[in-house]
Amino acid sequence: MITLLEIAERTQTGEKVEDKKWDKMFYETINSLVRKYGITRPPEHRFINLDDDLVQRAYEAAIEFLETMGIYCLTTRRRVALTREEILTAIREAPTEILMGCGRDRRVWKQRKVEGRERLNVCPGHHTPFTEDLAGLVVSNFAQIPRTDFIEGFNFTHVEGREIIGAPMEVYASRRQLNWMREGVRKAGRPGLAVVYYPINTRAEDLIGVMDPEHGLRRTDGILLSLLPDLKMEQDMLSAAIVYEEYGSFKLSGSFAIIGGFCGGVEGAIIEGIAKPIAAMIAYRDYINYTGVEHVHMLNGRQILIPYVNWARSVVNQALNRFTHTICMRWIIPTSGPGTDLCLWEGAMQAAEAPINGMNLYAPRHCRTTVNHGQTPVEAEWMIDVSDAVIDEGLDRQGANELLTRIAGRFEGRKPAVGYDIGECYDLVRHQPQEAYAEVIRQVKKELRDMGLVKLVG
Amino acid sequence: MGTEQMTSEERTLLDSLKQAIIDLDEEKAVAAADKVVTSGIDPKLAIRYAIADAALLVGEKFDSGEYFLPQLVMSGDLMDVITKILEKNIPQADTEKKKLILIGTVQADVHSVGKNLVATMLKSVGFNVVDLGVDVPSATFIEKAKDLEADMIALSSLLTTTMPYQREVIDDLVSMGLRDRFKVLIGGGPVTKAYADKIGADGYGRDAIDAVDVAKVLLGVQ
Repeated sequence: MITLLEIAERTQTGEKVEDKKWDKMFYETINSLVRKYGITRPPEHRFINLDDDLVQRAYEAAIEFLETMGIYCLTTRRRVALTREEILTAIREAPTEILMGCGRDRRVWKQRKVEGRERLNVCPGHHTPFTEDLAGLVVSNFAQIPRTDFIEGFNFTHVEGREIIGAPMEVYASRRQLNWMREGVRKAGRPGLAVVYYPINTRAEDLIGVMDPEHGLRRTDGILLSLLPDLKMEQDMLSAAIVYEEYGSFKLSGSFAIIGGFCGGVEGAIIEGIAKPIAAMIAYRDYINYTGVEHVHMLNGRQILIPYVNWARSVVNQALNRFTHTICMRWIIPTSGPGTDLCLWEGAMQAAEAPINGMNLYAPRHCRTTVNHGQTPVEAEWMIDVSDAVIDEGLDRQGANELLTRIAGRFEGRKPAVGYDIGECYDLVRHQPQEAYAEVIRQVKKELRDMGLVKLVG
Repeated sequence: MGTEQMTSEERTLLDSLKQAIIDLDEEKAVAAADKVVTSGIDPKLAIRYAIADAALLVGEKFDSGEYFLPQLVMSGDLMDVITKILEKNIPQADTEKKKLILIGTVQADVHSVGKNLVATMLKSVGFNVVDLGVDVPSATFIEKAKDLEADMIALSSLLTTTMPYQREVIDDLVSMGLRDRFKVLIGGGPVTKAYADKIGADGYGRDAIDAVDVAKVLLGVQ
């Protein structure tokens, strides 16, 4: 596989391109490939893609896209060109499994198969802001979920009562994040559990300063080094990738495409959604990616459901699982907050997709998180229960499509609900939902069983 | 002259110009704009009727999910081209000065998607927008705002750790005695209305569509 040093050199020697020109090239190229490869929505609506030929065409379009565009280095405003051979070699040589954690908490994260029957890997949280007073307790609660394979960090605005601003405070706060993570997993009785550093900023010093085998990021832990939308990379992230490649930590990336951005509509987003995790693997050695397609209106919480988004996500993940070694995760992003039935219905919909499209499960959290308001362990346990039930039920793509259609009925005429802060709907001391939320869970569970997911536990 | 006094031919011509802009058909739009100029229609009326309406409809198409960022960029560029054609016959002194908005992602933050959407939508509804890009220090925002005589500074931030840089711009404006000279609009994933109020911003845009509405109100634009 092309080395990170080679990538570093190309960020310094590649063709100079102004970012506006890159953006224009990006959407013009993607548009022409949408036409060339006939990427179109099916005539009748589906949540899960059934067209294998389309998956093949979408993959080929994505490879041609990556070969035409390369990756854009924001720092130097240069294009990192890639040959087709380099892209295909990287795809071939990427691992399909990642070892993480140590001792009895060691786990293996795997690439899934479309309609696979194995239990999914799970990251229950966070990727959301919490206050210092709750941090350790929150981590401990998420680590207590038995199926947790790794746990990601969180961001925060203050450390030791001071607002975080500037590199020195960011470095300090980053190290505290890892301290809280380590302390939290230890208190949960899982000292070897892998933790993933969630960068509170993307400066190299923030990314590298957390390395600490005793109290910070271990070699068996991971770091989120995400490629930016529109295939854009940064030298600070690449610096961290180089360091962690030698150190041994695994790396992951947020690699979904956003409908409404420079990729244009859903068809363009499919091409970017396949190309992006491949680019992240080449640029930063990100082998685990939260993948797919999202819509800017859903990320903003304007609309609960735009059905073709689920379909597009399905195409992307089927392509990545069929033709690459990308280890895919479904990042569950409800537009409604914790404590509400809508949050659970949205979570159910997205968790049900995951095993069908070959995705693991990742950090369910409200699309517009604010401090202490974004997620509780309930939504994480819920996504596990639903995905297990889909597997146990033996649903295939068609069966899942029918289930999702029934769930979608629950959103008709409704608007996203704000929900509650973690302390309002979850008891962090007893590790259980508050009674009002528990009743909502029971009700949604019953209705979901009535819809045909009879193997849903609890 | 108001639109009610236009002849049916004039109205048809302006409608075809408006439609060509909405359809992003540059060739047709330029041809229609040239015809408008030679037909003697008041160019200011043409700008108000065709371009302003087209901007509104393009915004609606984005809102409904029919148009995306590339279409917004293309329509914004096309509107610039057409405005220049229509303004050829307007004496410089009579040209309406567009409100100027300076936009960028604050220091230490390289996220651009939200900022691009807001910039493009502001441009598409007729604001003069100068995009400073990402990772923009407070001093750059303020220097540029002074140099360009901006009406508003729009600050984007996607990270909780870069939100304080939005406040820094406001604090710097205050300490330099410039706070009243520019409206300040903030937004971004973790930013809230409460935060905007707390740091003394004039406005908060929950998303791109909201940001445009707030900017219009703050700058007194219909």
